[in-house]
Amino acid sequence: MRYLIAVLGLILFSFQVNGQLYMAQNGEVSFFSKTPLEDIDALNKQVGSIINTDNNEVAVQMRVTNFVFPNKLMQEHFNENYLESDKFPSATFKGKIRESVDLKVPGTYSVTAAGSATIHGVTRSIEIKGTIVSTGDQISLNCQFDIKLVDYKIDIPKIVFAKIAEVIRVSSKINYVKK
Amino acid sequence: MKAKILFLFGMLHAAQLLGQDDLLNMLNQEDAKKTTYTQATFKGTRFINGQTVETIAKKHLNFWISHRFGALNSGFMDNFLGLDEAKIRLGLEYGISDVWLVGMGRSTIEKTYDFYSKYKVLRQSNAMPITLTMYGSLATNTMPTGYTLPSGNMMRYENNLQRQTYMGQLLIARKFTDKLSLQIMPTVLHNNKVESVYFDNNLYSLGMGGRYKLTNRLSLSAEYYKNIVDTQNFLETSGTPYPYQDSFSIGFDIETGGHVFQLHFTNSKGMIEKHFISQTTGTWANADIFYGFNMARTFSFEPDKKNKK
Repeated sequence: MRYLIAVLGLILFSFQVNGQLYMAQNGEVSFFSKTPLEDIDALNKQVGSIINTDNNEVAVQMRVTNFVFPNKLMQEHFNENYLESDKFPSATFKGKIRESVDLKVPGTYSVTAAGSATIHGVTRSIEIKGTIVSTGDQISLNCQFDIKLVDYKIDIPKIVFAKIAEVIRVSSKINYVKK
Repeated sequence: MKAKILFLFGMLHAAQLLGQDDLLNMLNQEDAKKTTYTQATFKGTRFINGQTVETIAKKHLNFWISHRFGALNSGFMDNFLGLDEAKIRLGLEYGISDVWLVGMGRSTIEKTYDFYSKYKVLRQSNAMPITLTMYGSLATNTMPTGYTLPSGNMMRYENNLQRQTYMGQLLIARKFTDKLSLQIMPTVLHNNKVESVYFDNNLYSLGMGGRYKLTNRLSLSAEYYKNIVDTQNFLETSGTPYPYQDSFSIGFDIETGGHVFQLHFTNSKGMIEKHFISQTTGTWANADIFYGFNMARTFSFEPDKKNKK
């Protein structure tokens, strides 16, 4: 019985220690494609993300269908033809912050997250540089990185090739709350 | 021993929480609680002649150009297999909201103006098996009175009210897989004036349609309307066979950025419900069918956020 209490205590303790999570439900991820013919931008305001500040691991998950385009036909093509969101409904990132920073301590940190991104069913290792501002209870993350469409087997037909950039600039702004 | 196992279990549990995959799993669990709507049940707001459950996005405008050439069996020398003649419908439709559109058009056939509205009542999602759209239209015939219909009957109008035809439809569709979508459409059509006393002012019809995506940009679509008419009774009372057929159309949708092209064969020459449901004279058996195409161009009036910056 004494052991049991000790074990239960340990489990609780482990929850506390390893469960230092910061969560976001309404993070924003946008992307921008720029060509001489056409600028295309889309914004997803329903991005979920978690940071575990004890080991500085990060996970990001978003639904492809939640990207909003000013032109709805473009949005449909994006889902139906390019990202095939029926087959691959979500895009994810999981990784670890390289720097040994304690994000529970208020401050501004320049960080690099190394991990793998899954888009259009293709998983690739990726490194993302960003800035984290922590107030202790809240963390906000800002980052920008480039995605090469061929890397993720996103096929652009020749007829619209000139309108869609080969490299897409992705920006992300996520505000986390301590759980 | 038992305690040791429990202890190990506790450690494992703690170790599990550390994994990156578990962070992702947590996010996936959160995400699964949200409602997700099915997108793009059909490519366009129309199958071939009839409407699909799709409406267009808010502040978007569709411009439709529809053509039907002459009958395939009208002869090569006489009519170049029908390509010598064409019937046209020009149409515009505008999205008042993401689920509500209004539209109008003008058809060559019977010089008819049509006005319509579609409203999406239910959207297919992880909680709802179907999409339901209500569709109503008004068709106004502006032919000079006393013209001959394809059935051979003479149509005379005494006032403008007689020139109106009303149509109501329930469009019920389900996207079964990313490739296959099917739709049924119970229909009621009311002509204020019919061509002879043997016709009923109300016509009931059950439409069925579907599309199968062959590639991302090419799909096969077909639609059929089964009219509920007692043709035997018509023959007995009027002494002539019922002159109209059920409408069947089959074709391809080809999508390029911003445009939808629909190429098809149909036994209906008309492109609005009054004409293709209640006044189809061609039969597939006699090759009395028409080659045609629809073209839709979408314009967006939604301001581009990037341009504002």
